[in-house]
Amino acid sequence: MFRVKNIKKYYGNQQVLGDVSFHVSEGICYGLVGPNGAGKSTLMKIIASIIHEYHGEIQFSPSHMTIGYVPQEIALEETVTARDNLLFFGKLYGLRGQALRNRMNEVLSEIGLTDRGKEKVKTFSGGMKRRLNIGCAIMHQPDLIIMDEPTVGIDPQSRHYIFQMIERFKQENHTIIYASHYMEEIEQLCDETAFMDRGKVVENDRIDHLLEKHAVPSIFVKGRNCLPEHMAQDHAISETDGGYLITTNQPLDMMKKVIEAGNENDREIERLELVKPRLADIFFSLTGSKLRD
Amino acid sequence: MNAVIHMEVKKNLQDRGLLFWALLLPIIFTVLFISIFTAGTGGEEKRQVILSIVPGYTVMFLFFIMISMTESFIKDRNTGIVSRIASTPLSPYAYLLGKWVPYMYIVFIQIVVLLSFGKLIYDVPLKQPLWLLLISLFLTFTVTGLGLALSVIVKTNNMGIAFTQVIALGGAMLGGLWVPVDVMPETLQTISHLLPQYWAHQALQEAMGGTMEAMGLLQPLLILFCFGLGGFIIALISYPRFLQRAKG
Repeated sequence: MFRVKNIKKYYGNQQVLGDVSFHVSEGICYGLVGPNGAGKSTLMKIIASIIHEYHGEIQFSPSHMTIGYVPQEIALEETVTARDNLLFFGKLYGLRGQALRNRMNEVLSEIGLTDRGKEKVKTFSGGMKRRLNIGCAIMHQPDLIIMDEPTVGIDPQSRHYIFQMIERFKQENHTIIYASHYMEEIEQLCDETAFMDRGKVVENDRIDHLLEKHAVPSIFVKGRNCLPEHMAQDHAISETDGGYLITTNQPLDMMKKVIEAGNENDREIERLELVKPRLADIFFSLTGSKLRD
Repeated sequence: MNAVIHMEVKKNLQDRGLLFWALLLPIIFTVLFISIFTAGTGGEEKRQVILSIVPGYTVMFLFFIMISMTESFIKDRNTGIVSRIASTPLSPYAYLLGKWVPYMYIVFIQIVVLLSFGKLIYDVPLKQPLWLLLISLFLTFTVTGLGLALSVIVKTNNMGIAFTQVIALGGAMLGGLWVPVDVMPETLQTISHLLPQYWAHQALQEAMGGTMEAMGLLQPLLILFCFGLGGFIIALISYPRFLQRAKG
């Protein structure tokens, strides 16, 4: 689909992207995760042809691939209607006449605004504006949709609706680049992801591979006097949520040991569960959790 | 480009503030200043004062369109619309033209309304209408061209307003829109010849009075055209920096 090769970008003397490379296959959702200032937005602007001055290369296949860009800001004309906005961006993407009007009606339906199409955008809620923000980028049914934090500041229902839209885009074989601060969004929506920090890709792979590669399984146990002392000495254990998190490569064996120890010594176990590895833990382990103010 | 023109026209039609700035305020000022400066005068003297004030205040108030232009561009920049448009196949050249043309309509309508007001209320002569039309078109191009440059260069709305005041009021003062150039010191007279306001005012006055010759028209038209073109070129050159400052 496209390949980003050795992209470097400077603002004055400051390097904002340093030798960024990755490959995105057709029809997948590719996540970009990183703290503020990691270079995600700059990278997306380069891919969307908004920034032209950079070092490196982006190879699109096919070369005439169409791109729809959903900016982080709500980039809409608020004094006109939702229909006017869709028609405006549709025209900029080359649609005309009946085809343009048909596509506008399709998109209004897709973003759940058919009944509100004739209303001015300034009367919309945050979630409606976010959906229209996406709608304007898909008027020309682009091959690649670039979304820069499309769910910032919206209610759970609108977020859920946008997730469903993205799932539909994937089913329709659109390729998606999705930047977000929300790790659970990336885990839920994306097939592959790149962790970015200080202008560099520190890790990128399929999400299941990343979890396999980096995440160490653990179990959570809670209860009065629930852990034998020797276990606390032999394993990496941390206290959390009023219980203990035991990191181990053999989580099922460990659970068995905890239960056996509990039965033998009349210990009281309230909760015992397998903890699923999280992308956020891998991200913090790779980039650190210190503030980046 | 047509889509940008259409959208900009639609937004401006809803802007009641523009109606105030572009038409009501100039009319109020023209009436006020004519009543002040013609008090106690009569005959030819009064006619000369009116013949200077009507085109002079028309030219001065045209430049205030720069405020609306800068506001529109800065809004596009800060809402992320500029970035979004830059990701479409529309070229920067077409974007700038698309934003420019609607303001040309507004300024041209402004000239027509203000001169027609002068004709209806004060019976100012419009003896060479064809020349007046040509001067109006070139003046429209100049004012909006300079407005375009300013819109792409300034960083904030306040900067846009400040520069517009300097250009409109400074240009009016030095360009002979308030006080005849003949009574100014020699240095200021030289400076006034460097300003588009001077050439526009002189040309309008002559064409209104019917004393403009075809060859005499070329010089002001060429000068006005150069200012407008210069504005467009500056805007085009400054566009990448404008885009770099854009959100989104």
